[in-house]
Amino acid sequence: MADTFLGGDVGDAPPEPLEDEGRRLTTSLSTSCLAVLIAVVLGGLIMLMSGENPLTAYTAMVDGAFGSKFALGETLSRAAPLAIVGYGTAVALRAGLITIGAQGQVVAGAIGALVTAQFFESAPSAVAIPAAALGGALFGMAWVLIPALLRAHFSVNEILSTLLFTEFAALLIEYLLNNPLKPPTAITPQSDPYPDNGILGLVIDGTRFHVGVFVAVAIGLLFVWWVRSDRGFSYDLYGENPNLAQSLGISGNRVIVNSLLISGATAGLVGWIQAAGLLQRVYVEIASDIGFFGLVVAFLGGATPGGVLVAALLFGALQSGGLAMQSSEGIPASLSDIIQALLLLGFSIRYAPQIIRLTRGVMANFTLIGKRRK
Amino acid sequence: MTSEPGADPATGTPLSVRGVSRRFGSVQALANVEFTLEAGEIHALVGENGAGKSTLAKIVAGSIRSDSGSMSLFGQPYRPTSRREGAAAGVAHVRQQLSLVRGLTVAQNLQLGRPGAPAIFNAASARAEVERWSDEFSLSVPAETLVDDMPLAVRQQAEILIAVAWGARLLILDEPSSALGPLETRALIALCHRLRSEGTPILYISHRLPELAELADRLTVLRSGRVIVEGADVRAADLREVATLMIGDVSLLEVNRPEIERGTSRLTVNDLSVSSTQEIGCHGLNFEVAGGEILGVVGIAGNGQDSLAKALTGQAKLASGHVVVDGEDISGSARQAIAAGVAHLHEDRSTGLAAAFSVADNATARHVRSGRFTRFGVRLADKIARHAGELVERFQVRPPDPAARASSLSGGNQQKLMAARELEKNPTVLVAHGPTKGLDPEAAKAMRDRCFAAAQAGGAVVVISADLDEVSDLAHRVVVLYRGRVTDAFPIEDMTSERLGAAMAGLTETMGATSG
Ligand SMILES: Nc1ncnc2c1ncn2[C@@H]1O[C@H](COP(=O)(O)OP(=O)(O)O)[C@@H](O)[C@H]1O
Ligand SMILES: [Mg+2]
Repeated sequence: MADTFLGGDVGDAPPEPLEDEGRRLTTSLSTSCLAVLIAVVLGGLIMLMSGENPLTAYTAMVDGAFGSKFALGETLSRAAPLAIVGYGTAVALRAGLITIGAQGQVVAGAIGALVTAQFFESAPSAVAIPAAALGGALFGMAWVLIPALLRAHFSVNEILSTLLFTEFAALLIEYLLNNPLKPPTAITPQSDPYPDNGILGLVIDGTRFHVGVFVAVAIGLLFVWWVRSDRGFSYDLYGENPNLAQSLGISGNRVIVNSLLISGATAGLVGWIQAAGLLQRVYVEIASDIGFFGLVVAFLGGATPGGVLVAALLFGALQSGGLAMQSSEGIPASLSDIIQALLLLGFSIRYAPQIIRLTRGVMANFTLIGKRRK
Repeated sequence: MTSEPGADPATGTPLSVRGVSRRFGSVQALANVEFTLEAGEIHALVGENGAGKSTLAKIVAGSIRSDSGSMSLFGQPYRPTSRREGAAAGVAHVRQQLSLVRGLTVAQNLQLGRPGAPAIFNAASARAEVERWSDEFSLSVPAETLVDDMPLAVRQQAEILIAVAWGARLLILDEPSSALGPLETRALIALCHRLRSEGTPILYISHRLPELAELADRLTVLRSGRVIVEGADVRAADLREVATLMIGDVSLLEVNRPEIERGTSRLTVNDLSVSSTQEIGCHGLNFEVAGGEILGVVGIAGNGQDSLAKALTGQAKLASGHVVVDGEDISGSARQAIAAGVAHLHEDRSTGLAAAFSVADNATARHVRSGRFTRFGVRLADKIARHAGELVERFQVRPPDPAARASSLSGGNQQKLMAARELEKNPTVLVAHGPTKGLDPEAAKAMRDRCFAAAQAGGAVVVISADLDEVSDLAHRVVVLYRGRVTDAFPIEDMTSERLGAAMAGLTETMGATSG
């Protein structure tokens, strides 16, 4: 601001003491727990106000999330994609990058998987399945490549560009499912059924527990390795102090591009799981809100392996439990949505300073776009 | 904005400062300062880094308060308790780090926080006002360009313009030219002259003596918070003498400087140029440093030191030239610099350490991606902690706890931790940027000893510093940087206040210093 006249003095003050939190984007366990607690309590209050008994509701929710084989399968099958997106996002987050494009990368991954699977339609499953997984991952990566390069070489804010690419993905899939990928007989936008030889089977019949859960476990183990690895450390170091990292010979551009590509690949895999495992067809809504909730999971889990896992299970449980609550007690599932939203709010308080800083940055970019357009 | 009733700019001295003192902890930043700004003059305030110039400016602007003394503004007693009050009284303070909001346009900045501005931003009238002032002073400050997209010099003009538009009756410019090139400085001088002729007196803070001869009417020298020369006529003053007065006596304190055997040349800097958007960069530097030798690079902060430090450690892309360590060209590659054994003590501990990481991770960070302390790419936490424990012991970091966070250490211990990381092995070249800055005497001595030890072990040491004592304590030989060029080079025995002062203030012809 025209601080020439007003405001605090940042002039030539002596160097500030080392700031502990610095650019850290990762939360601590206690803030996350506090956020959960606040959400549960506030959610209970809202239920009271709308004349429901929170105890009944929460019991029904827990029961619906963990109380039976079916419930558990449902929870895990919902948690798995959230966890996968969460791990990938966490890699970027630890490197100081905020990618919010997972949603679009899931869509791209689903298209990639479908197209690859159709190409390998007559191949044995042992070829078709991994090929489609790879296709999904590659499409997910491709979807983040341009934002990554822009960020690395032109310092273009990745928040904005990844969000923009999510819009592109939404438009693309709408086009594809209305035109080239749409079977002539279909009335609504959708693809042909996913080729049989590429379908990921259910692991336990009578549930929706599918192979994607194992993929989540594998990705989780990879993430544990990453966090302990020397390369992972160098990325974390860049996230903590880019100047120092570069002075130690770590290439900032490489960190930026690679960590964003990793996040793109995981989101792309989720697209594959959605298409090949759950829906077995590609719809416009293929990603539901997995991309966005996956980000929340990464943030809430503090970008650590255990944290992301717990957060994913929590959201998986809220989603499956909410639906169960509705069918068993007649309490609207939207109450579970409210709790998820409260969770978001609760932990965003921890990020208030960062969010304010970010919003400023993003606003600056918007004004820039506005100006350029003139 | 209108001025207070009764404060008629025509009457009364614009600014009179009487016996003002200010202390920060143990530092007496200003001691009994007497200073007068007369109507219609540009008054230069000069002094070394830390002389207290900015402190005086801030007191006048109202953003900090004096411990004792009094001021009057246009004949009225003046006791601002905030920047806002200072502004309301008509004092505008343009600081070195410009303070326009970068994501907004000049027109938006003009209205933002402006006393008495309407609650709703009127784009058309704000634009018209910027354009009117810009025309008035024959500037080309664009009203609707984002501050971010404007060159530094134009940002500065915009800030001055806004100050004037807000009704400033007295302008303080704190080191306005330090980041400007010669042409931009000329434009700034013209603007100052223009403002003077409109009746706005200016307090102009600078280190750069040559431009003052042309710009200012009178000159006051501040040294260690005291006024050494008050209000001398610039045209009559001998600038070389002023430069000497700024610095004071440089005495070669007899520090226990160990005898160090001089080896052969280890570091060669050849026609080195770095262009930087952030600072002045450096241009055509040539020097050599032998093993066992400590070269001091002095100069007032912001004259290319950062670029030089980055270039010597492989972190800056060179516009031209080479940095050669033991015959190997490490230009532009931090990785190669590290492999060649170049160590770097960062000037700023916040860039030199990973604050939220543990002492162990910091102490061993130089080994990152080297394959040491890893198996199958996984870091071996035990080994790292053990190795860090030894380092921390050797470099006397307190507390010697590898698991502690770096940010929990005191400044001196953070500096020691950085030294532990960088000086684990004897370096071929040590680039120490302000190695004792802000440290207590014990920690400062420890850091000096580290520099001597690096030289004794055969390393070539470059100490970059704006602190002359630090350099005279350590260096065998000195080069002086001014605006990114070497203006003088001499052995430490030949260092005199006159010579140093002249070279640091830009009164010496630029030379292509090559000596070894
Ligand atoms: N806010 C502060 N806290 C502590 N010390 C300060 C502060 N501001 C200035 N100083 C100290 O006061 C002295 C004068 O500083 P300053 O006025 O900024 O010098 P100059 O502008 O002449 O370079 C320096 O030693 C500086 O470290
Ligand atoms: Mg200053």
